[in-house]
Amino acid sequence: MERLVQLGADMAKLWERCGGDYLNGMKNTLILALVATAIGCLIGLICGILQTIPHSKNDPPVKRFFLALIRAVVRVYVEVFRGTPMVLQAVFLYYGLPYFTNNSVKFDNIWLAAILVVSINTGAYMAESVRGGIISIDPGQTEGAKAIGMTHVQTMLNVILPQAIRNIMPQIGNNFIINVKDSSVMFIISFTEFFAVHRAAVGQTYLYFPSATIEMIGYLTMTLIASLILRWMEKRMDGDSSYDLVQVDPLTMTAGTYSHPDRGTPFDERSKENREKVRQELKFGRNRGDR
Amino acid sequence: MGEKILEIRHLSKNFGTNHVLRDIDFTVDKGDVISIIGASGSGKSTLLRCINLLETPTSGEILYHGQNVVGRSVNAAAYRSHVGMVFQSFNLFNNMTVLENCMVGQIKVLKKHKEEARAHAMEYLEKVGMAPYINAKPRQISGGQKQRVAIARALAMDPEVLLFDEPTSALDPEMVGEVLSVMQTLANEGMTMLVVTHEMAFARDVSTRVVYMNQGVICEEGPPSEVFGNPRRQETRDFLARFRKN
Repeated sequence: MERLVQLGADMAKLWERCGGDYLNGMKNTLILALVATAIGCLIGLICGILQTIPHSKNDPPVKRFFLALIRAVVRVYVEVFRGTPMVLQAVFLYYGLPYFTNNSVKFDNIWLAAILVVSINTGAYMAESVRGGIISIDPGQTEGAKAIGMTHVQTMLNVILPQAIRNIMPQIGNNFIINVKDSSVMFIISFTEFFAVHRAAVGQTYLYFPSATIEMIGYLTMTLIASLILRWMEKRMDGDSSYDLVQVDPLTMTAGTYSHPDRGTPFDERSKENREKVRQELKFGRNRGDR
Repeated sequence: MGEKILEIRHLSKNFGTNHVLRDIDFTVDKGDVISIIGASGSGKSTLLRCINLLETPTSGEILYHGQNVVGRSVNAAAYRSHVGMVFQSFNLFNNMTVLENCMVGQIKVLKKHKEEARAHAMEYLEKVGMAPYINAKPRQISGGQKQRVAIARALAMDPEVLLFDEPTSALDPEMVGEVLSVMQTLANEGMTMLVVTHEMAFARDVSTRVVYMNQGVICEEGPPSEVFGNPRRQETRDFLARFRKN
């Protein structure tokens, strides 16, 4: 109990001294995670779509070659960036590029470097998620779209992707939360996100554990809020579970389906034609030849 | 005899070494209602899927108004917009409402204006009795209702031929009637239809021609009165006898 009181007091002291820094760190972390997740999802979406372009043995050789090339490039990208630690990717990008190019290519903007590394990383994970999302959609949906004459692009845009994106929403949320936490490795290129503030604060005050507690609470707050928002978004995407019956549709009235007694469809029991037909049928039996 | 819409010549389809269709020849004239019957695995559905190019035929030709549609140079999407298809598993777009399902093809493929597409879609939804449900999502309606929407979706494209791939096989018995009566209405109105079905009553009473398929070939073809009343081939007699028993 004493310890907890002490911890609380230390945390209060720390917050008084570096509270602004912590908040600033949280802001940077959130911006980085948000922007990088958005760009990463875009990269993943593009990769996923490219990988699922249908190909068959009957395609012309040029098309087959390009499709194979695209798949190979995406595959290498995914394997390399998914298979190496983000810290090292940051090191290679931020310190490696100037090293290999004699300082002619380097990042002046640390934000740009951080966003780039995290986005590329997220993209590699999302590429597989998007591909999974696309192939998980019932092939019947594609056939239904093809049967009304839609092209592959139209089918993707109107039918498959809206459903696939709904299905990969939990994955997008996963990646966002991972990015909130894992962007802490960006301290390696001296990006001042939330965790970097901890290192600075500890350096000044030597209150290591109280600062770590503040970090814990801060990260948990960010990720919990993110989870809640994501759940809410998923619910919204699912739409209402109920629907309204349209008893009277104004458009069909103006179209005149019912308004003119002679123009009703045979399905319309009020139509004169149908009534006449039913009467005839009752009288003489069903006429099979009439069409 | 009406105008020839489809002419199928020497159509074959292999899946590996499995010859599903062998040298199929037949024509579809305007106003025809053709029922394709036969045991499971006889190639009925594959034939229909080949006609809509959902499967690529291994060899042979499909002439649409005299133009071959099999091969690389053909715009399959444009051809498909003239040949509608209704599936056993409905295949309604799950992310759209009933109305949107019937509009999307008109807007994206036929490049119609939204209002025009809406009016046209409503016309057919009205016809299949689904107009009250335009705001429902496919998961919220019953199987029979889904199939009726699927029919309206196909009709809204104003196809010249409508292909039905066992439209009632996935339905509960009490829902079969509502779908069949819609199809009968279409047939009476002169729609050209190609129906793969196990509903023998429909084949007998509604169609103008019946095709009996057995092991990938057309075994017998003719008016329903002949195929059902006086089948020439022993295979046809055996097949029909199984239905009489039940």
